[in-house]
Amino acid sequence: MPLSEPITPGRVDWTGENPGILLKNDDGTFSAMALFFRVAWSPVGQGQVLLLYGTPGQEQGSDEAPNIIISDNAELSKYLLDNFIGRLAAFRDAPAFKGLRHLVAQSVQTDGDPMSHRYSETISGEGTSVQLLWEDLEHPRALELMPDQVGSGMHTMFSVLVPAQRAGILVNGKSLPGKLGTRMQAGVETTSAFLYFTETWIIPPDAS
Amino acid sequence: MTRVSVNPGRVDWCGENPGIYLKHNASDEAYCVLSLFFRVSLSPYGRGNAAIVLAAPDASKGWPDETNFIITDNQRMMRWIVDGWVSKMPTFIGKAGLRHMSWLNLESVHKTPGDLKTEYRETLRGSTVTLEMIWQDMGPPIPVEVTVENSATKEHEMYSVFLEAKSADIKVNGTSLPGSVQSRQFFGRSMSTAFLAFSETWVTPDNGGDQ
Repeated sequence: MPLSEPITPGRVDWTGENPGILLKNDDGTFSAMALFFRVAWSPVGQGQVLLLYGTPGQEQGSDEAPNIIISDNAELSKYLLDNFIGRLAAFRDAPAFKGLRHLVAQSVQTDGDPMSHRYSETISGEGTSVQLLWEDLEHPRALELMPDQVGSGMHTMFSVLVPAQRAGILVNGKSLPGKLGTRMQAGVETTSAFLYFTETWIIPPDAS
Repeated sequence: MTRVSVNPGRVDWCGENPGIYLKHNASDEAYCVLSLFFRVSLSPYGRGNAAIVLAAPDASKGWPDETNFIITDNQRMMRWIVDGWVSKMPTFIGKAGLRHMSWLNLESVHKTPGDLKTEYRETLRGSTVTLEMIWQDMGPPIPVEVTVENSATKEHEMYSVFLEAKSADIKVNGTSLPGSVQSRQFFGRSMSTAFLAFSETWVTPDNGGDQ
């Protein structure tokens, strides 16, 4: 719930949407990882970025399971890699982080309804099309998380979470292998497929 | 007061909700133009875009007799938001133009964000109307979190990121509406009546707003 002081102390790092899908192998390792960013404000402008580790355990992915970042704002891609994705241990520590190919986005398409059954983001560029698909959506929840509750370990974060019970990552129409897992967020068990809307990352004054 | 990590309330809708309120003169009590833009990413009635323009807020007439209209690609969603939110905001309460505004079909919406400092523009087209909402000379982003007592509707909690704009313009079919941006007391400080509002979330508390 909001605090009584209406202006939250700190500096906005970036704000926008940040859904993702993490798929796992039977042994618990990640088989594919994807984050999508639709950034409404950042110090380097607006933009849309898709990060895909089709082969998380190797620097170089394959044509069918590439390790890529597709974006319509290259400066924003770099900003997020340096200041955000690089602070998330699961992404930073994967070998794929060092082997990303950067592609220019030519189209971004949103479909479905996040308060209904199905929602998707499709981003295409330089001959590669990636669709993230979320289904069996739960009701939205507003989150207010402190630095010790977020992956970066340094931000206050506000967001609206919509968990999905089913999800898929399709590269040029073919599904990547793997299945959803569970994860804990703010003491609540949820899935590894999630929509995050109206998400704001704030650097608190004592961390600036 | 400590934070509750998972808000127990009901998320009603979220998205972007910038606005521009203009006055003829700083000393005028009433605004001569009220306008809001909506880019809704989640609601019980789906997603959608809209803009409300009341250039004759006290007139009981719609477009084209007066420049009082809402243009949207999701009328059902916006009927719900007008009734539940806009009509309860202090600047819109009791305005005849809100009740009598024409409902126009939105065919396209296009944003030109620029560097998010110099100029930000939303252009909406449909029903023979082209509407341009232009914010200029923006300040840094200000994160806000608002309790029921402090919220515009007095019924909801609200989170958002505001950027003040020192100047703004609203054009309908190429002609600028009269008036200029002023300052007002908002969130305990002087703020511009032209603002961008990103990542805005409206929540109904789990007690139904009876705080």
